[in-house]
Parts: sequence; C-alpha cells; structure tokens
Amino acid sequence: MKAHLVNLLKQVGPPLIAFAFFGLSWHALVEVFDLPPYLLPGPPRVVDAVSTHAARLIDATLLTAMGALSGFALSLAFGFIVALLFSQSRLIERGLYPYAIFLQTVPIVAIAPLIVLWIGYGLQGVVAVSFIISLFPIIANTTAGLTQIDPRLLDLFALNNASRWQILFKLRVPNAVPQMLTGARISSGLSVIGAIVGEFFAGYGTDDFGLGYLIIQTSGQAKTDYLFACILFCTLLGLTIFSAVGLASTLLLKRWGGAD
Amino acid sequence: MKARCLLLISLFLIACGQSETPPTETGKTRVRIALNWFPEAEHGGFYAAQVHGYYAARNLEVEILGGGPDAPVIQRVATGSIEFGVTNADDVLYARAQQAPVVALMAPYQINPRCIMVHEAAGIERIDELAHITLAMSQRPAFSHYLRWKYPLTGVNIVPYPGNVSQFLANPYFAQQGYIFSEPFVAKQQGGDPKALLVADIGFNPYASVLIATESTVAQRADIVRAVVGASVKGWAHYLRDPEQTNRHINSLNPEMGLEILAYGAEESRPLILDPVAREKGLGHMSAERWNSLHQQMVEANLIEKTAAAAQKAFDSQFLR
Repeated sequence: MKAHLVNLLKQVGPPLIAFAFFGLSWHALVEVFDLPPYLLPGPPRVVDAVSTHAARLIDATLLTAMGALSGFALSLAFGFIVALLFSQSRLIERGLYPYAIFLQTVPIVAIAPLIVLWIGYGLQGVVAVSFIISLFPIIANTTAGLTQIDPRLLDLFALNNASRWQILFKLRVPNAVPQMLTGARISSGLSVIGAIVGEFFAGYGTDDFGLGYLIIQTSGQAKTDYLFACILFCTLLGLTIFSAVGLASTLLLKRWGGAD
Repeated sequence: MKARCLLLISLFLIACGQSETPPTETGKTRVRIALNWFPEAEHGGFYAAQVHGYYAARNLEVEILGGGPDAPVIQRVATGSIEFGVTNADDVLYARAQQAPVVALMAPYQINPRCIMVHEAAGIERIDELAHITLAMSQRPAFSHYLRWKYPLTGVNIVPYPGNVSQFLANPYFAQQGYIFSEPFVAKQQGGDPKALLVADIGFNPYASVLIATESTVAQRADIVRAVVGASVKGWAHYLRDPEQTNRHINSLNPEMGLEILAYGAEESRPLILDPVAREKGLGHMSAERWNSLHQQMVEANLIEKTAAAAQKAFDSQFLR
C-alpha cells in the first residue's frame, strides 16, 4: 500500500510542482508588471472566471467533446479501412497516398466555410472538420504498420500456404496495432482542435454553445480571463481524450503481448 | 574600410532601434492609424485625409494600417504600440471594462451601418419579425447578443457568420449580418434579392468607425491628437463630397473592393454620417446621451458590468470643437 503511494507521488509529484511553479511565476509576472486584464489576466481572475461560468463551461466542453469524439471515431474507422486498402495494393497506395497527405496540409480554416456550405451547420459540420483534421495520422501510421512486416514472417506465412486474408488478419493487422495506436494518440489531440475550428464555422445553433463559440465570444469582448478559462477547458478535454487513448493502448498492447 | 563598415552597421542598428517615431525628413510627425477591417468605404474619410493632404497640412505623416478579422486594434492602441485606431463604440466599452485605457475621439458614423440582410421574398419587414429562419451572426459584436436578449427570435437558428454571401444565395430561409452598403450590394450583384434591415432602427446604435487613442496620448500629445482629429473630420467631409480619388486608392490597397462597390459605399454612407445631428453639431459629433444609452444597453444585456461614469470616460470630444 505504502509502495503504491510512493509510486503515485513519484508519478504526479513532478507535474504538480511544475504546475505550482508555473502558476506562481504567472501570478508574479502579472503583479510585478501590473499587467491589465485585457493583456494578461492573473491566475486568480481565471479561477474566478472558471467558478463564475462553471455551468456554461462544462456544458460547452461536453458538446465539444461530442464533436471531437465523433470526428475521432470516424477518422479511426475510415483511416483503418483506407490503410487496409493501401496495404493490399501498391498501385492504390501510390495513386492515393499523395491525396492523403493533402488532407494533412490543407488549410482547414480556408475550407471549413465550404464544408459548412456542403453539409450544413450544426454538429455534422463540426464532426466533419474534426474528422478531416484527425484522419491523416491514422492512415499514415496504420499503413506503415500494415506494410512494414518482417520479410521472414511473410516467408513463413507463404511457406505454410497462407491465404491473402490470413496474411492480412493474422500477420499484418496484429503487426499494425502498436503503430495504429500511436496514430490514434496524435489524432486524439487533433480531433479537439478540429472540433473547435469546426465550431468557429458551423456552431450548433442558437442556444448550444461549444468551446469554440465561447472562445470567439470572449476574445471579441476582450474578456481574457473567461477566454483563458475556455482554453483551460479545451486543454483538459484534449488531455482527457489523449489519456483515454493512452490507457486503451496500454491495455490492448498488453493483450497483444507487445511492449510499448 | 573595415572600421567604416562597422560604423555604418552600428548607425543602422541605432536607427532601427528607435521605437519613438522620429520626425520625417521634412520635419513631419509620424503617426499610425490601425483599422479594424480591410480598407473599405467605412474607413473612407481617413484615407481621404491622407490622399487629399489634410494630414500633411497639419504637419503629420500618417500611415494607415489595414486590419481584418481578429485584428487586435484596441490592444495595440492600448499598449501604445500604435498611436491611433479605428473601431466601433461597443468595442470601446468592452475594452474599457477590461481596463484598456482607450478613449473615443470622433465618430464618423452617427448611424451604425450594421444591418440584418434577409431575402425580399421572406416578407420580413422589421428585425423584431425575424422568425423561423437561419440567422448568421458573429458572436463578437455586441449587437448580436443584444438582439438575442431583446427579441424572442422564435424558431430562429443562429449560426456563425460565414464571412461571405454564398449561404445566403443558396438558401431562401437564410439571413445574415452585414454592413448596409456591402453585403446587400454583393448579394444583389450575384443575383440575390436582399433586403437590409438596419440594426440601428431597433434602438441599438453604437457609433461606428470611431477614432481612438489612449488616455495618456490624449493628455500628453494633445496637439497631435487635435491635428489628427481635425484632419480626419476634413477627410470625411471630402470623402462624402468627392470619394473618387480616395476610392481608387482604397481599391489599390484592397483589390477585393471594386470601384463600383466603393462608390456605392460612399454614397450610402452620407446619410449615416451626415444625419440631422451631425449637420447641426458637426461631423464626428459624439454625445454623452448616446454613450450612456449604449453603456446602459450593454449592461442590460449582460455584456459588461455596470460601472459608474464608464460612458463619460469612454469619449472625449474636446478635439472636435
């Protein structure tokens, strides 16, 4: 029991100390230079904003989480299917991979208004933007995992007259799991960013506010303390999804027998 | 040779390091004005003062910096990195509520050009009749929150402002915010049937394209502020009288804005700037009542906290006299 506690302390101690140090320096900076709130609000003001607007911030975070998780789930499913296709045909991979890279480099802010025009305002628009932003890491990592196979293992399967499907599901897919999970971790953070950007353009309609809505509103009104509170909730959301994916991969990889 | 090079380099570095804007070669004072949007008709008077030499006549060399969405005009002015800015009255009150020490100096638009653009076919005549449509409004400006607070807006789905009119053209049950001389013009040009409903008509009417500076600039450089305000007023008068040359200049800076729409903008701006009050009290006039009522409305709609004398301190019309 005691060993557990010591272990826990070792885990959370350093980030907590860093957090306290960062918070105090921030507070000192604001106090020493007497910075006005429109430039940089001090930690007490931000804490105040969090407690004043707690209900709305939580509602907004849940809504944004819905957009981000839906986009993330879609990108996982679609990315996996695309990677499977790529792994089955060099021709398809060569032909389409550049366009997958295109997804990564496209300035999402520029096409987001078009996405809204095509598929409409509301949750579906938010999910679409989140999906596009988080898709590429899944495709790239899963494709790599599916195609970079130890040739000796491929020979072994061939020697035993394994069918194409057997090679795919007994060799390639298991081999790809660790890399797919790495892609999922990258995409988990991206999906939140995608949802926020999506909310800038698509929104959810009159009375439903995501974090993206609150960010636009508070920055437009120079309410920097409230804005910082929104950003804090965005990062907490990203962190939560990231940790969940991390936990899932640890469990999965344990089952797979591989070490992360 | 080497020594001379070093000397030149250090002189150059010294010249670069000077942040206080030095007088120009001709002895003029350099000041900068940061705009809240891309150069458009709503900034016409400031450009006219530059184009027609009103700033030069007051011994000023003015550089006008174009803005855009998210241009931090008030922040740059408040921190002193830019001397003057152009923004709207509601933003001045927002910023002052966050302790940004900016003051409004002149207000070209007595009537705010903000409108809600609906389809003629929708049969909506007034803003309080808005119902059962999609309404695109930005969450930034105060008017959108005031509208939500004031009217039931039954069945109105409020969505983010798309920044163009393509949604409007594609959907007959779509309305959006705009400037009365801008979005409706574009929508009409592209075959739409826009009808513009002025937000000012519901009584929410912040002064627009307001010239601002910091409290300390006003206190310490009053002569310069007087010169900039005076020349800007003359620039606006000139722009309303004869906008052509200025519009060509704006067009060269922002080719997105064609000469036709700029001419239309100048034409439509005249009644909004030279309303009966401005005709009587002078172009750029600001009144305590107007600032007070705006403050009152923003407090009512929960946009800012009620602060004593907030409205009176937000503007200074001594330079208009």
